[in-house]
Amino acid sequence: MVRALKRRPLLWQLFPPFLLVILLSLVLVTGYSGRSVRHFSLDKTAADLAAQGHLLVDRLVEPVRTGDRTAVQELCRRLGEVSGNRVTVILPSGEVIGDSREDPAHMDNHAGRPEIRTAYAGGIGRSTRYSHTLNQRMLYVALPLAELSGGRAVLRTSVSVSDLDDALRSVYVGTALAGVLVLLLATALSYWLSRRISSPLVALREGAERFARGELQHSLPAPDSKEIGELADVMTEMAHQLDDRLQTVVGQRNELEAVLAGMVEGVLAVDLDMRLRSINRAGAALLESDQHSIIGMSVYEVIRNADLLQLIDNAFACDDPIATDIVLHGAQERLLQVQATTLQGQGGERVGSLLVLHDVTRLRRLERVRQDFVANVSHELRTPITTIKGFVETLLDDPPDAAEGRQRFLRIIAEHADRLDAIINDLLCLSSIEQDAKQARIELASTVLRPILTAALESCAPRAASRDIGMELDCRETLRADVNARLLEQAVVNLLDNAIKYSSDGGQVNVFARRVDGRIHVSIQDDGCGIASEHLPRLWERFYRVDKARSRRLGGTGLGLAIVKHIAQAHGGNVDVESEPGIGSTFSIYLPG
Amino acid sequence: MTAHLQHELESLKKSLLSLSAQVEKNVRQATKAFTEGDTQQATEVIESDRTVDAQEVVLEEECLKILALHQPVAIDLRFIIAVLKINNDLERIGDLAVNIAEAAARRTDQSPLPEGFDLVPVADRAQKMLALSMDSLVNMDTKVAREVCAADDEVDAEKRRISRLVVATIKEDPTNLDLLIQILLVARHIERIADLATNIAEDTIYMVDGDIVRHHDEPSD
Repeated sequence: MVRALKRRPLLWQLFPPFLLVILLSLVLVTGYSGRSVRHFSLDKTAADLAAQGHLLVDRLVEPVRTGDRTAVQELCRRLGEVSGNRVTVILPSGEVIGDSREDPAHMDNHAGRPEIRTAYAGGIGRSTRYSHTLNQRMLYVALPLAELSGGRAVLRTSVSVSDLDDALRSVYVGTALAGVLVLLLATALSYWLSRRISSPLVALREGAERFARGELQHSLPAPDSKEIGELADVMTEMAHQLDDRLQTVVGQRNELEAVLAGMVEGVLAVDLDMRLRSINRAGAALLESDQHSIIGMSVYEVIRNADLLQLIDNAFACDDPIATDIVLHGAQERLLQVQATTLQGQGGERVGSLLVLHDVTRLRRLERVRQDFVANVSHELRTPITTIKGFVETLLDDPPDAAEGRQRFLRIIAEHADRLDAIINDLLCLSSIEQDAKQARIELASTVLRPILTAALESCAPRAASRDIGMELDCRETLRADVNARLLEQAVVNLLDNAIKYSSDGGQVNVFARRVDGRIHVSIQDDGCGIASEHLPRLWERFYRVDKARSRRLGGTGLGLAIVKHIAQAHGGNVDVESEPGIGSTFSIYLPG
Repeated sequence: MTAHLQHELESLKKSLLSLSAQVEKNVRQATKAFTEGDTQQATEVIESDRTVDAQEVVLEEECLKILALHQPVAIDLRFIIAVLKINNDLERIGDLAVNIAEAAARRTDQSPLPEGFDLVPVADRAQKMLALSMDSLVNMDTKVAREVCAADDEVDAEKRRISRLVVATIKEDPTNLDLLIQILLVARHIERIADLATNIAEDTIYMVDGDIVRHHDEPSD
């Protein structure tokens, strides 16, 4: 700021030295030439006066010798009039005896005057002096006139040099005026010059400001002068290189951001102050926060999960990557696999930690479903086999005597064999649907749906009738869909079977089929006991049972709904269930229309 | 000096949030242990209460140190006072979680709770209140804090319903007496947790606005 205040424009740097040089040279030249002219003309005038003096000497010798003062005075006056110069005659005593301009009687003794003293000595004396007699600057030239008894008489001729001084003064005044003119000229010149030098610099500055604003594609104007032109070229080149590098960096950053945004895993970076430096969309979703508003906040404020905070602390405490499973209790419980690694700065020093949150909720659920399946299959198969084995062993080891008892045993064995058969049939059916669907071997044909639904209803009618349950079908004759008739019938039969099983005697089961939003919606609605909400998500799993004892008593294999789901999926559709305990359930199959 | 104070306050907030995260976890785990009859989790809660207590002591010492060294005023002073009180409340919540965990440890079977005694919704609500009260502290959001205060009534009502149901069931059929009494106790603990969460929310309002909202418009329970 202080430096900026001291900065002067170029004009003010150029102007004073310019002016000084010009004025100095002007003064020197004027002074020198003035002196020369003055000397020259004084010498010339002095020579003239001396020559005149020599001419006058002859005329004056005689009267001076005789001491005729009147004649000398008369002669002096006359000669002075003729020559236009002042003529003075001085005795060796210094007394003036003749003068062309003044009365000699009133004049001082001239013996002390420098020119006179020179002339007394026999030389030609010369002096320039202010004459108090005439009130003018005068040039005096004195020369010896005659040898008298007391020494030499002297003739002095003199002329006024005021004219010369006047002429010189006017020259000086003219020079001063010229100086003022030069001042103006120098101002104009330095202004023009500074503008000429600085205007390309101003253009450069404006260009540099545009660079600073990010307009790096801008090219600087090329000025005339070589040095500034090179500077402009270098700056333009620099800006273009910067632009290229920025483009690369921005490109890489965008790429990285796209990768992060597209990742299923949540990624968050925490700095050494435990503040959230960045987080991707998936991460924000896992933490149930707004991605942009939480950046910069303390992780303690954002995360608020003791285990995850502990993990972050541990990650800061050691340099090795650590991984652990953490349960997040948000709106929905999520199981996360979290990996924490060190975040390194440019010099390889630690600047924070990077956490990758992998949502393994679904994975773990699938794992559990698989484990459950194996356990369930073995369990489901073992129950009838144990029973059969038990009764067979009893029959072999210790057969009851009564035929009635044997009959009862065999009936139980047959019943469980049927059950085993049913389970295995269902499993085979399930796996064949799965296989066929995987290999796209299921043939779909555009079919009218009503006959299929009617057939399903008919096959369930005896069971419904035995428990006095009413069944109704609501389906338009013209409704068609791409389906595999056999599979769809099986799915509907399974759902109807369930609906009848879980309805109380005298209940009502309705089947609807209609087109909704371009999809075929087949739903089976009952007014049975309903299903509690916590069972709904797992209802379609194999062998999942809401009430294990009851289901088995009712003769279910635990695979009916799984088969329905697979059939729907084989058609490219899906299934859904809505239920309220005590009011009833609605199972739906959605097929692409 | 001021920068130093700000740094201390920041670290205080960090410790408080760390404590609250631990307490929230303990409450969740304890109620889960009780409703699912999981003695393993119950033991974990009882174990981890020791760290909660230790953290409480450290926090209190920190507060006193800042008060003595920096002699803060205005919002900073209110913040420290609020931290002191919330710290206390959190420690009490931690103890209640231990009480629930102990009730869970006393349960011998893992059968689900009988019909009508489902403590999960009310426990969820109390936990939610605790989480929201801490949220309001973090974001200095008095609106959320006031919502927490309002939600306390629902938890109280639910607790009263469960108490009445327990009494009625015992009168009708006292075979399950032990479990029913545990349920009654746990419901009471949960209700106390909700009350303490309300206290935290009130302390937050005090800290932000300087208003003491306790004992205003409260139902005479």
